[in-house]
Amino acid sequence: MVPMENYLALSGIIFSLGVYGVLARRNAVLVLMGIELMLNAVSLNFVTFAAYLDPDRVLGAIFAVFVITVAAAEVGLALAIVIRLYRVRQTANVDEANILKW
Amino acid sequence: MATEVLWWIFAVAIVGTSAGVVFSGSVIHAAIFLILSLAGVGTMYVFLTVEFLALVQFLIYGGAVTVLILLALMLTRMGVSGRPERATGGQAPFAAVVGLGLAAVLVGVAFVTDWRESVPDNPINVPIQLISERLFNDFGAPFLLAAALLLVAMVGAIILARQEEGE
Repeated sequence: MVPMENYLALSGIIFSLGVYGVLARRNAVLVLMGIELMLNAVSLNFVTFAAYLDPDRVLGAIFAVFVITVAAAEVGLALAIVIRLYRVRQTANVDEANILKW
Repeated sequence: MATEVLWWIFAVAIVGTSAGVVFSGSVIHAAIFLILSLAGVGTMYVFLTVEFLALVQFLIYGGAVTVLILLALMLTRMGVSGRPERATGGQAPFAAVVGLGLAAVLVGVAFVTDWRESVPDNPINVPIQLISERLFNDFGAPFLLAAALLLVAMVGAIILARQEEGE
């Protein structure tokens, strides 16, 4: 099998790209895509650790199933908020959504 | 040997498409890159011998989540308003520093740490039966909680996105 370090490095790179996307992007939907990348990197990490370090190799898959469930709920809710924001402010840029800013 | 070559091809493809998601100027291109990147992570699950998760990844991420994102992009009409949108804000250089630093730390730790791998030489695939037994016996309560969470999130999304009277 491919060494475990390769999977960990790959998921670390995906996670860092997601962090950059979340921090740098202005569009709320693109910020959400960065979050999806980060969640995917985390699932890949869980499954890698389970596949290489867990004797029955199942636990990581179960964690990843929960991560995918929560990600689905999160993306549905977040997109509803984006659509609502667009209706109220005619923009989907996070730096123009300053209604709650003091 | 062939597995290693295939793995490296897919790994480079995943990193490339993920970079496309965060660096692409067009939101539609970013969404297409996201589909490819998520599908690539699904192939990684095949390499890790967890086919069930690969299937779930293709169905839910490659299908449902990306369709939701494309739908939201269409409803908010990005980039057709006439004025060209700047894709990144003024904080982008700092975000690049954070991202590069995090990548250096994560990759460095992955290679420096002594992991004591206990993987068998010819690992068998993780059977779906075993996953379901553990999921429904040991993780029954979290499973029900996740179901309730999904239901609440969907109802909340409908209420949030609904057109209200007099708006």
